[in-house]
Amino acid sequence: MVRYLVTRVGQAIVVILLVTVIAFLILHLLPGGAARATLGKEATLDQLASFNHEMGYDRPWFQQYGMYLLRLGRGDFGYSYQLNQSVVEAMAQRLPKTMVLSLLSTLLAVVVAIPLGVIQAVRRNRPADYVITSLSLLAYATPIFFMGLLLIILFSQTWPILPPEAPQGFTVGEMLADPAGLVLPVVTLAIVTIAVYSRYVRSSMVDNLNENYVRTARGKGLPEWRVVLVHTLRNGLFPVIGLLGMYLPALFSGALVVESLFNFPGMGQLFWQAALKRDFPVLLGVTVVITIATIAGSLIADLLYAAADPRVRLRRGAS
Amino acid sequence: MSTLVPLRRGLGVFAENRLAVVGAGIFLALAALCFLGPLFWTTDQVHTDLASVHLPPGPGHPLGTDGVGYDQLGRLMLGGQTSIIVGLAAGLLATVAGTIWGAVAGFAGGWVDAAMMRVVDAMMSIPALFLFMLLAAIVTPSVTMLIVIIGAFAWLGPARLVRGEALSLRSREYVQAMRAMGGTGGRAVRRHIVPNAIGTVIVNATFQVADAILYVAYLSFLGLGVPPPAANWGGMLSDGLADTYSGHWWLLYPPGIAIVLIVLAFNFIGDGLRDAFEVRLRRR
Amino acid sequence: MNEPLLELRGLDTDIALRRGAVHALDGVSLQVLPGETLGVVGESGSGKTMTALSVMGLLPHGGRVTGGEILFEGRDLRTLPPDDVRRIRGVRMGMVFQDPLTSLNPTMRIGTQVAEPLRVHFGTGKAEARERAIDMLRRVGMPRPDRIADNYPHELSGGMRQRVAIAMALICSPRLLIADEPTTALDVTTQRQILELIDDLRAEFGMAVILVTHDLGVIAGRADRVAVMYAGRVVETAVTSSLFRSPKHRYTEALLESLPEEARGERLYSIPGLPPDLSQPMTGCRFAPRCRHVTDACRLSEIPLSGAEHQFACIHPASGRAAAGVPLPSPARSFSDAPVLSVRDLVKNYPVRRGGGQVSAVAGVSFDVAPGETFGLVGESGCGKSTVGRLAVGLERPSAGQIVLEGTDIAALTGRERRRMHREVQLMFQDSYAAMNPRMRVDAILAEPLEIQKVGDRRARIATLLDQVGLSRQVLERYPHEFSGGQLQRIGLARALALHPRLIVGDEPVSALDVSIQAQVLNLMRDLQKDLGLAYVFISHDLSVVDYMADRIGVMYLGKLVEVGPARDVVRSARHPYTQALIDAVPTISTAKRERIAIEGELPSAIDPPSGCRFRTRCPRAAALCETEPPLTGDTHQVACHFPLRQPPPATSAA
Repeated sequence: MVRYLVTRVGQAIVVILLVTVIAFLILHLLPGGAARATLGKEATLDQLASFNHEMGYDRPWFQQYGMYLLRLGRGDFGYSYQLNQSVVEAMAQRLPKTMVLSLLSTLLAVVVAIPLGVIQAVRRNRPADYVITSLSLLAYATPIFFMGLLLIILFSQTWPILPPEAPQGFTVGEMLADPAGLVLPVVTLAIVTIAVYSRYVRSSMVDNLNENYVRTARGKGLPEWRVVLVHTLRNGLFPVIGLLGMYLPALFSGALVVESLFNFPGMGQLFWQAALKRDFPVLLGVTVVITIATIAGSLIADLLYAAADPRVRLRRGAS
Repeated sequence: MSTLVPLRRGLGVFAENRLAVVGAGIFLALAALCFLGPLFWTTDQVHTDLASVHLPPGPGHPLGTDGVGYDQLGRLMLGGQTSIIVGLAAGLLATVAGTIWGAVAGFAGGWVDAAMMRVVDAMMSIPALFLFMLLAAIVTPSVTMLIVIIGAFAWLGPARLVRGEALSLRSREYVQAMRAMGGTGGRAVRRHIVPNAIGTVIVNATFQVADAILYVAYLSFLGLGVPPPAANWGGMLSDGLADTYSGHWWLLYPPGIAIVLIVLAFNFIGDGLRDAFEVRLRRR
Repeated sequence: MNEPLLELRGLDTDIALRRGAVHALDGVSLQVLPGETLGVVGESGSGKTMTALSVMGLLPHGGRVTGGEILFEGRDLRTLPPDDVRRIRGVRMGMVFQDPLTSLNPTMRIGTQVAEPLRVHFGTGKAEARERAIDMLRRVGMPRPDRIADNYPHELSGGMRQRVAIAMALICSPRLLIADEPTTALDVTTQRQILELIDDLRAEFGMAVILVTHDLGVIAGRADRVAVMYAGRVVETAVTSSLFRSPKHRYTEALLESLPEEARGERLYSIPGLPPDLSQPMTGCRFAPRCRHVTDACRLSEIPLSGAEHQFACIHPASGRAAAGVPLPSPARSFSDAPVLSVRDLVKNYPVRRGGGQVSAVAGVSFDVAPGETFGLVGESGCGKSTVGRLAVGLERPSAGQIVLEGTDIAALTGRERRRMHREVQLMFQDSYAAMNPRMRVDAILAEPLEIQKVGDRRARIATLLDQVGLSRQVLERYPHEFSGGQLQRIGLARALALHPRLIVGDEPVSALDVSIQAQVLNLMRDLQKDLGLAYVFISHDLSVVDYMADRIGVMYLGKLVEVGPARDVVRSARHPYTQALIDAVPTISTAKRERIAIEGELPSAIDPPSGCRFRTRCPRAAALCETEPPLTGDTHQVACHFPLRQPPPATSAA
């Protein structure tokens, strides 16, 4: 188990380093280089030169990358002249809010998707299965913003019970104080996630229901609910833990769209506005941070999976 | 002639799968609407016409007009062209690039494989939409650039898939049997691995197309798509966003439903193809 | 006579397909008396497993009992309310399945799984249920049951898991145990342990057992009465001794004659053709198309079971078998030419990925194979026999030692020469379906070796090959999935023959086949040997098949060759205790007395094998001397043992 933990964390670090290389390359491949990208179109040649010298961008590339890494390590993601704020400060206010949105949506998605998937698997190839399958495919094919728009039209306009905009609180606490405003963003992001998860739970459960050990359980004369909930569900859900990690990139992509649509003051909205204004320090900072969050999230999911499933736990621990 | 038998049988199974046929039908209908439609329904999609903005559907404008006076039906056709072209081309690009990358990694094995797959892991852990927007912010997207941007990052999925297939097919007993006859690695790839992996790759390609169409829509919705007067369905929805409260429903539903339909269509086609490829391998 | 515990009356079971249905059971009637063991025997598709699953209500998706009665203790399970039936199946019946590796819940502790029926059916408290589970595990012979109770299934070997499955089935003290091929996935020595355990527990619990199996030998040694099934019907049922002594139904008779151990002379009797397709309607005797004694009357109408004690559904019953006795082995052939294959001190180690170390798969094996000879390699799973085969055909490279083919060390070959070497020796697989590219037609499959080796005139060669293995030209346009197991094995043999090899290595070539089909393939292999002068290395876990096929036999245990000699000497006067234990464990239909060396315990790990004689940890004769490695000694009948069971009689080996 310790060995597995070490290799898995080592892999995560390698991947994070690779991501910083990618970000670094993008910054330097920008037209006009890093200086122009940071200071903007109006900067003079002198300003550019002094910026380059200050940041060490006149040195060999490996030294530049080393300094870039050092700065990242210190939490220095650069300065946004457009926001007139350091990138870290801008992100610090927004990251927790994005986490709240992602966590609540994931929670909602898991709570809804597992029973849906189980019902589909138990009633497979019968009407209930077909209906749920069709609905989840429909949800999967609907762009998130269109889904969000439909929800806004339905619940803020036709039947006005929910605000069409996210709460604009400065802190997470202030946002949570206005739960009504969170409903539509969270539900919108959750719907697509439910579609993906329930499909996965269904296929995992169907695979497990066809296993021999389920036949053994029935042979013991167990009631069907016990066969499904005690024997099959446990085994069927292990892979879903892994899926939570694998799905993170898509979840954050979805959060970007949802935040833009509902004016939700998180990382996605920050990123979106920076993209429209070509504010590269912010764009790269958010990308790196969101990526690290993704990697950390999948690492946690993998370790949870390894800790939960005795087959993995014991096999990995054995030698 | 007899070589056509399996093809015909595969098509037969595809045709039996009603959803797959429906999917193919939807796609063909939408493609015909977008590419052939303008021949019969000629509209001016370049010059704005401020005299006839926000006209509701009616004679002359079956789907009404938008905020700058473009005919919505004509715009739907024009936007569809972009969405379909970018989706197909980016899906194809991603599939080809990913297949090559994954196949090389799977066959090289060892540290080459490890290094190549770490690169894929790294890029996959960057949420795709962030990358697309970053790139779209750097270069002003044209249709070609959109294809390149999406294709350049959507190949990761196929790369993983193909590598996995290559690794598993490489150890199959029929490949061993061939090696016991004195066959080479090249023959294993040509005669055994490619023919068995191709189905999986093609099925995956259809899902790639569906995803690419969604990404085009997202980028345009977020204001980083092809700039006007060019159009696509995502951008039309984005424009229609302002009209959510003004009751101009004809600006929202047609492009939204069009996206849902075409994404569904490619998912149906993919599922049908999967069945068609698998059927020949099923034992009695 | 007592009331039967279980009585099936005219049971019909259908399995729905995408189009139509398979009539898996058609009017099956059986009786099981309290305390007796009923053997249900048949080949694949005969309905024996479907009968068991119908009784237990565990039919697969789409399966349904459509007619008849299932009377258990006088009550029809088909008419009782579902909850009562579930309780009866959980408490009064128990079932053990074929594959112990997948039949236990992988993420539930052993103790919890075994105790579960008590908790569910009797509401027993947690602690008490656990105690009783541990007690039950002890009774099925688990060492340290209190610790095992906290283990997960994947931590146990196959044999141990099957013991757990039996404990679970017996925890509520059922009146009836249904064992569906309980030992088919196990090695023979483990099989023997499990069958004896079931026998002992039957007496101890006073329960009845239904033993479902394809293996006539298993039935012969264990069952009181036997029911023979064919194509969804019971064709014959009788007291075991009477059935084996004088089978009445022509199918039973033919089946017994197909057994390699019953071979009289060169050829086995093989039943022609294939069992019928059960999705098609049929009239008359279902065995008629394959029967030697068929008349028009057989095809006219259904033939019911008749008779009192010994019932059979045949209008031309057999009159009794030729006097049973020790069948004469075929005369020993002698081979004097230079060996086609010579293996010297062969070693193969595989690195272990985690934690370093290595698996010692093959540890110093030497043997020769003469042209035209069959060398049998037997041993249980994990003994390294398949690895030897893969090394011999050049699929893997040895860690040490030599493989000399036709006088050339194949390690020295490179490039073109190495490719040419592959013409001389070919491999035949256990599962020919897996060994054929599913997207290639048979013509392409057969042409492949010729293309690789650039041998001309493929058409003519393929035509010859088809004739040699007895297949028609029509197979060329079909795909592997369209064939049955026996046909696939013929195609595999044809492909192996394509390059005119001198030697064919067969890795369990008939192990996946039914007895009647197995006989067809074995006969074919023998005929080809005679016609083409082929040599075979015949690898199998099945001693009776190897005994029938091989001129000489090598016995492997944990990477070592422990005994080599002429087939009849090895099988009839074994010198190594392991060989004798293996022979004793093979269930046969003959009732001759045996020496009965039983081995206990489990195969040691090949990562850290015992020093000296690798068998010493399980050997009844082991002594201090066994910690040093015994060399393989002897003239023609060699043994690697410090205390061999017998010295070779000087006369027999002068071949």
